[in-house]
Amino acid sequence: MSRFLFPRWTNNLLPFILVTGAIMPLYAVLVVAYGFSPKTIDAGYMPTQPVPYSHATHVGKLGLDCRYCHTTVERTSFAAVPPTQTCMNCHTQIHRESPKLAEVRSSYETGLPIEWVKVHKLPDYSYFNHAAHVNRGVSCVECHGRVDQMEVVYRHSPLAMGWCLECHRDPIDRLRPVSQITNLAWDQRIEMTREEREALATQYHINPSENCSTCHR
Amino acid sequence: MPRIIVYTLLILGLLLLLPPVIAANARSRPNPNRPINIIQDMDLQAKFLPQTENDLFADKRSQRPAVLGTVARGEAYLDAHLNDGVVDGQWATTLPSQFTLDAKLLLRGQERFNIYCTPCHGYTGVGNGTVNQRAMELVANAEGPVNGTVWVAAKSLHDPTVTIQPVGQIFNSITHGVRNMAGYGSQVPTEDRWAIVAYVRALQLSQNASLSDVPSDKRGGL
Repeated sequence: MSRFLFPRWTNNLLPFILVTGAIMPLYAVLVVAYGFSPKTIDAGYMPTQPVPYSHATHVGKLGLDCRYCHTTVERTSFAAVPPTQTCMNCHTQIHRESPKLAEVRSSYETGLPIEWVKVHKLPDYSYFNHAAHVNRGVSCVECHGRVDQMEVVYRHSPLAMGWCLECHRDPIDRLRPVSQITNLAWDQRIEMTREEREALATQYHINPSENCSTCHR
Repeated sequence: MPRIIVYTLLILGLLLLLPPVIAANARSRPNPNRPINIIQDMDLQAKFLPQTENDLFADKRSQRPAVLGTVARGEAYLDAHLNDGVVDGQWATTLPSQFTLDAKLLLRGQERFNIYCTPCHGYTGVGNGTVNQRAMELVANAEGPVNGTVWVAAKSLHDPTVTIQPVGQIFNSITHGVRNMAGYGSQVPTEDRWAIVAYVRALQLSQNASLSDVPSDKRGGL
């Protein structure tokens, strides 16, 4: 019986195998870190909504303030999606026969809520408080992005814990006067000096905690 | 080295590029296929958060609407002046005693007016808000009003029929609406509605002001 011998050309593969073997673990780590980071798997979520509501039209073009609809944002932890009544403040008259608004009209008639799809969903073990942020100088735009330019709303930020902590560890750049809180086009990094923002931090008593129980309880 | 081995290695090498390319593509633009929740932990717990679904009820609301005929604690509207703008069956002519007419109240009123009222009434209250302008465009469309739009121009708050109204009546209009205007009682809390009333009065004064209304030390700035 003749023994199997590797042909001579396999010797050429040896350095290749060694190099590949050294690089592959690094490759695997990088691909997982990049491919499974919250920026890849969480940010950018843009579900189809039951009504093609455009923030670009209502906020960007007509200039409605965020709080016209999301009325609870300054008073509660939760920035409520408005009731159908808010849509109908105007749409009983404007575009009142538009096919795009059929779902809104049927909700108004039946009293059943429109089933909007939640875009910014936090894990149930984290407790974010909108009021605590918007009343102390953190604008909507810091987390939600330029919603006033979005035809369809998508998740601008990863909303991951590391991302929250970035700001909790260094909030100065994200602070602005409360009077500009819903002005999404305004940028405190351009309009204010760092010293002015630091003064705001003192004025608003900004001392963000990194304690677990701040958000998890 | 046999060709087949070389090609196989090349193809395998190219396949390694695939995962990062897929990830980069996913990151590059918004799409509906997320979030991808691999490790669920306790992300979804058996509890009801605001505005979530509860299949127990026909309307699926987890937040239950108040049962007809019941009043929640703290929501009994017993103060007619504060809650309805009415004193002794007449429209109130003064602010409720809970408020002091000062710059703080007016600034609050200005801020709230600019959020809730300017879309139709405009920043000065003459009725030229952006929504009003848009509605006028839709009605004036050459081929007929777009999507059946009907519109009555927003009232100027400086119209004599408005300026003669007592504050209680203005408060009532904000709360319950008037003619084509919807009520804002559910969108704007009572305190803010009174602040808006105060600001509307200030706006009305501002449109009919004379030089003597300006404090003498501020006249230089005009």
